Amino acid sequence: MTALATFGHDTVFLGRRTLRRFYRVPANPISIVLYPLIQLVVFSQLFKEIVQLPGFGGGSYLAYLAPGQIAFTVFFAVAWSGSSLLYDYRNGYLDRLRVAPISRYAILAGEFVPLFVECVVMAGIILVLSVLLGAPIATGLPGAIGVVLLGGAFGVAWSGTSFVPALLTKNEQATSTLSILFFPVAFMSTAFVPPTLMPDWLRIVNDWNPISHVIEAMRSLMTVGFEPDILGRALVSIVVVGLVLHTITLWSFRRLTN
Amino acid sequence: MTTIDVDELVKVYPGGTRAVDGISFHIGQGEFFGFLGPNGAGKTTTIRILATLLRATSGHARVSAIDVAAEPGRVRERVGFAMQSVAVDPLATGRESLELMGRLHRMSGIELRDRVDELLELMGLTTVAGKYAGTYSGGMRRRLDLAAALVHRPEVLFLDEPTEGLDPQSRTALWDELRRVRDRGTTMFLTTHYMEEADELCDRIAIIDRGTIVVSGTPAELKRAVGADTVELRLATDGSDGLAHVHDEVARRLEGFEPLVSFERAATGVRLGLVEAGNAIPGLLRLLDGDGVTVRALTMSGPTLADVFLRHTGREIRAEEADQAIELGWWG
Repeated sequence: MTALATFGHDTVFLGRRTLRRFYRVPANPISIVLYPLIQLVVFSQLFKEIVQLPGFGGGSYLAYLAPGQIAFTVFFAVAWSGSSLLYDYRNGYLDRLRVAPISRYAILAGEFVPLFVECVVMAGIILVLSVLLGAPIATGLPGAIGVVLLGGAFGVAWSGTSFVPALLTKNEQATSTLSILFFPVAFMSTAFVPPTLMPDWLRIVNDWNPISHVIEAMRSLMTVGFEPDILGRALVSIVVVGLVLHTITLWSFRRLTN
Repeated sequence: MTTIDVDELVKVYPGGTRAVDGISFHIGQGEFFGFLGPNGAGKTTTIRILATLLRATSGHARVSAIDVAAEPGRVRERVGFAMQSVAVDPLATGRESLELMGRLHRMSGIELRDRVDELLELMGLTTVAGKYAGTYSGGMRRRLDLAAALVHRPEVLFLDEPTEGLDPQSRTALWDELRRVRDRGTTMFLTTHYMEEADELCDRIAIIDRGTIVVSGTPAELKRAVGADTVELRLATDGSDGLAHVHDEVARRLEGFEPLVSFERAATGVRLGLVEAGNAIPGLLRLLDGDGVTVRALTMSGPTLADVFLRHTGREIRAEEADQAIELGWWG
C-alpha cells in the first residue's frame, strides 16, 4: 500500500472507533440534535427585528442568521473535541495506538472524524430547520450540501484551538477554559451583524477573520448563488487556518513522545 | 542469537533526572527476561524506549537487529506492549478492541477473525467478547490488554508491571497465560517489583536500581550468590527490658561463630544469616544453650530475591515514593 492509502485505511478504522465512542454516550447524540434546534429558535426570536436596520437591506432574516448559527455550533463542537484525546492519553490507550505501526497523524485524523460528523449534523439541522421556516436556498441541494460541508471543513481546520491546548496542558479543564478564549473570534465575526454596521476597526479585523469569510460564503450560497470569489475566499481561509493549526497540533502531539 | 541488544542506554529527562544511566544487556530469542527493581528505578523508561514510545538521550537499542530510534516503524510491526496502566477503551467491546488492533497491523478478513477468536479463547474472554470492556473486571481488562498486544503475533512482548493491582488468583492465572505465550516462541521482556513474579517467570533477571543494572543472572544463580540462609529464632523473654537483654546475650554467645554472616534484632527474637544453615543449626543451638536464653521456635528459609536485592542495593525493594506525574494543565 502507498503511504496515502495506509493513512486512509488507518484513519477509517480509528475514526470508526472514535465515532462509536462518541455516539455510545447517549448525551452526545441527544445534544448535537437538540443544541442547534434550541440555538436557532432562541436566536431567530432575539434577532427577528434586526433585518429592519438599514445595513441589512431587509432580506430574509433566517437566511441571514442560519450561517452565523452554523458557525457558532461549529465553535462549540470544536471546544468539546480536544478533551477526548486526553482521556485516551491518561488511560494509556494513546500509547497503545502509538506502538502500532501507523502514522502519528492518522491518530489525530481519527479524532477529527467525530468532530466532522458533529459539525455536519448540527449544520444540517440548522439548515433544514431554517428552510422549513421559510429561508431560501438559492443554489438548491448542491448549495445546501456545500453549506454543510463548509461547516464541517471549518470545524476540522479550527480543531487546533482545542487540540493544541489539550496536548500542551494535558488537562481537561485547562483545555475547555483555553479553547473558550477563541470564542471572541466568533463574536466579532459577521455571524450576527453585517460589516456595514460595525465600527471601522472591527470591519478591518473581519477582512482577516476566517470564520467571517466562511459565513459570507454560506450566505451567498443561500441568498445569491455560486459566487466563485466569495467561495474561493472561504476555501482559502479554511486551508490556511487548517495548515497553520494542524502544523501546531502535530508538533504538540509529537512533543508528547519525549 | 539475540533479539534485544541494548548498549550504554541513557535517558535524561528535561529537568535533569537521569532515569536510565548507562544500561547494557542482551536478550536471547525466546528468552523470558525480567527487570526487577523498585518504582522509579528506570524500568518503565527502558521498556518505553525499547517499544519506541520514548527517545533515548544516548546509547543504542536494537530489537530484532533493528535500531529503535532509526526505524521505529519496523520495530512497531514486530513488538507488542502491555503497559502498566491497562489500556482498554471502555466503550468498545472486547472483540472490537482486538479487531481494531489487527486492522492497525493491516490484518483483515478471515485471518483477522480467526486470530481474534483464538486470542479471546486463549484469554478466557469468549463469553464476554460482545460486552463493553468498561464492564470487565480488573483481571479481564488485563487479559484483554494482553490480547491486544498479541494480535499481530509479535516477535517480542514487552510487559510493564503486568500484574500490578491484580488479586493473587488473577495474578497466578495471568502467569499461566504468559508462560503459554512464551511457549509459542515469543521473546518476553518483563518489568516488575514483585520478587515472586520475577522468580516464577523469568529465565534471567537483571536487578535495576537508580538507573543502573546492579547485577544480573538466573534467579537461582543470584540466590546462590547471596550464600546465606535465614534462620529466625523466637526467644522467651521476661519483663519489659528483657528482650534487649536477651538480644545482647545471644550476640555475645554467637561471637566468633563461623557460619554466621548477619545478625538482626527482631521484635520476638533474632534473625540470623547462616551459611549452610542445615549443618550449622546443631552448633548454633549448643552455643545458645544455657541460663538466660530460651529458644521457643526456630524457622529456616533459603535466600529469596528480596535478600539478593538487599545485598546488592543495601535497601528494601518496597520503598515508596510520591513521584508520579500529575498534569496541572500548564506548559510541561
